[in-house]
Amino acid sequence: MKRQPNIVVIVAFIATLALGSLIGRHVDQLRRAEAFYRWILAAAANERLFAEENPDYKDKELYDSVSSVAESRLPELALDTKVDQPGRKLSRLGRLAGEPDYADEIWNLARGNDLVQQRQSFLDYARGRKLQLAKDIQYAEAQAGGVNVFNLFFGFRKVAATFVWIQVDRYWHQGMLYRMIPMMRTCVYLDPNFVDAYLLGAWHLAYNATAKMPDTPQALRKWDAKHEACVGEKERYYYLAVDFLRNGIQHNPYNYQLYFDLGFSVYKQKLKDYVNAVKYLSLAVQQYHQVWVPRQLYICEELNGQYEEALAGWQDYIQRYPGTQSALDTAPRFILRNKALIYEKEMRKAREAAKAAADPQEAEKLRAAAEDFKQKALQVWDEMKEPFSEYRKSRLQAQEMAEAGRYMEAVGILEKARWEDPADFDDAADLIIEIKLAGNLPLSVSEKKAVLRKQEGETCPGMPGK
Amino acid sequence: MKAVVDYIRGPWCIAIYTWREGMRKKTLVGFLILSLLVIFGSNFMSSFLDPSSETDMELKLIKDICVTAIAIFGMLITVFISASVVPAEMDNKVIYTVLSKPVRRGQYLLGKFLGVQLIILINLALMGSLFFLALYARQHVLPTLLLWSIFLTYFSFLIVSAFTFAVSCASTSSVLPTIAGLFIYLTGTLTEYLNDVFTRSGQSGAFIDKLVGYMAWCLYNVLPNLARYDLKTQIVDRAVNDPPTDALIPWLVLMALVYALSGFLMAYIIFRRKEL
Repeated sequence: MKRQPNIVVIVAFIATLALGSLIGRHVDQLRRAEAFYRWILAAAANERLFAEENPDYKDKELYDSVSSVAESRLPELALDTKVDQPGRKLSRLGRLAGEPDYADEIWNLARGNDLVQQRQSFLDYARGRKLQLAKDIQYAEAQAGGVNVFNLFFGFRKVAATFVWIQVDRYWHQGMLYRMIPMMRTCVYLDPNFVDAYLLGAWHLAYNATAKMPDTPQALRKWDAKHEACVGEKERYYYLAVDFLRNGIQHNPYNYQLYFDLGFSVYKQKLKDYVNAVKYLSLAVQQYHQVWVPRQLYICEELNGQYEEALAGWQDYIQRYPGTQSALDTAPRFILRNKALIYEKEMRKAREAAKAAADPQEAEKLRAAAEDFKQKALQVWDEMKEPFSEYRKSRLQAQEMAEAGRYMEAVGILEKARWEDPADFDDAADLIIEIKLAGNLPLSVSEKKAVLRKQEGETCPGMPGK
Repeated sequence: MKAVVDYIRGPWCIAIYTWREGMRKKTLVGFLILSLLVIFGSNFMSSFLDPSSETDMELKLIKDICVTAIAIFGMLITVFISASVVPAEMDNKVIYTVLSKPVRRGQYLLGKFLGVQLIILINLALMGSLFFLALYARQHVLPTLLLWSIFLTYFSFLIVSAFTFAVSCASTSSVLPTIAGLFIYLTGTLTEYLNDVFTRSGQSGAFIDKLVGYMAWCLYNVLPNLARYDLKTQIVDRAVNDPPTDALIPWLVLMALVYALSGFLMAYIIFRRKEL
């Protein structure tokens, strides 16, 4: 009689163990699906932003297969003209993965039955180290086994990454930059979600490493096919920062700071590449972001000549953050500024159209329209009363004079204006050269050098077609 | 209902006195003080960093060190307390007094197990609240993800605790169950290797190679895999509504409860036939 309860308890014990095992298997499936989901996000970020392909890895092949299934399973999303490059068709998955609102849909797809085969291929490839974008996938790594750096820490990789970072910091203070770079890479390899490491690492590369370096002369630069740019020693550090941040974006596609630093700190501030600055800042504002992010986007749009977008952005900013210092003070100034710049743009268009017009009446009409736009622009510049508006007024005046053949006076106005508004010194200097060349006036030594630099252009050894 | 209340009353009293007794243990208090010192000290780790950098690096340092400190010291507390509650009572003969009362062995075990869980929970709450305060003092935002991390940490301790408790029921001293508990933790953390052994087995074609592979596969499926609770370290840095996190947490909790029940049943099987 006593044995029976024993058997019942033993059966119950075995049953619970079996149930625990079954639940464990389900958890394993979810963890594998999670690893797959995070790889999909990284691969989609790569498709959407970088379009990098490495033939040594299987990422592209697997992503294409996942994407073809996703095409019929995910909802359609309108094209984002700020980010989606014209002429390159993005997959539906690539577009949706950039939107945090669709994270659930992608997760459901990643763990569902539609992608069973692809999920298995993902695990096989990850075990065989054939996926470039799955380096952080610790579950797959654990299954791949072997004594590697991750196993040594018994799962405390994040702590290890933090201590590696302390060492990076120490090297920075000791001025050992050459030691910092591999350590920074180790750090983010240990913890790919260590966003601050990406941000600070890129800052060290783009700013601190290059602080005392002169710009590399164009003739000494070499063509970098990966970044499609002429790169010297100093510029190489900028692109190392770009790559470091891109790596961060692939692993943390929903973090605005990485997009912001890539767009603002590197592309805008260092490379003066406003097209890419607008692209990454547009992505930053799509994520959860801080209030200063859109402001930088609108400034970059203005620098990129997208005055209409910048104007609309600032108007939206006032609606969105009413009562803030920037909405009360900064935004109205930029609204006026962009309005005037739009008038100037329209004025130039009308003048060019007038020059090209065959019909004299039509040409006269266009000239009148141009004059109207000019007056409107001047009205706004008068209203603003700040160094930039005064400079723009002088610029307009100088252009008028140059068109009337009064080159010396035009140069004189610009000479005065550029010293009164040093922020626009370079713009004024370029215009002075243009006017002097048009009027056959003698150039100064520095202006001659600038002309030579321009003639040399952006070419460098190794550049295709040069 | 009355029967359930009557059945639970005895174990509850045992749980309370186990908790009181446990909190007086010098080893546990030592571990707790050490862990609190590490958590408190993590605030000063930032002195190693560049004070001019305006980043959240300090915050990450605090998070990583505190989560790890809670995991290590919490696990030590769990193992030591689970391994010692029953053998200590056998050693000082208190168990005979308790079992001479109208308390069944199952009730006694349940009481002891609940007492162990109370001790673990209170220690975890103390460590967690200091961590919570450290983070709140830095961020001025309630670190809700931390609560999820501590919640999951407890469930990984629950599994280790249940199986260590089962081993302790077979022993008269707490040394063997303590070693066993640490071994359970290490095995649980490295269970993934068993799957790796299975994946690589059979390459030589030898029977023994295949056999080892199948054994590894069986063990991999049966043993609780504590590496699944790695989420507790990742969750602190992830977004609040990270979809995989939402899907994983309920299953991890359920798995811990089922394995804990299994460990408790194992303890019961061992203890009910034990000659006292």
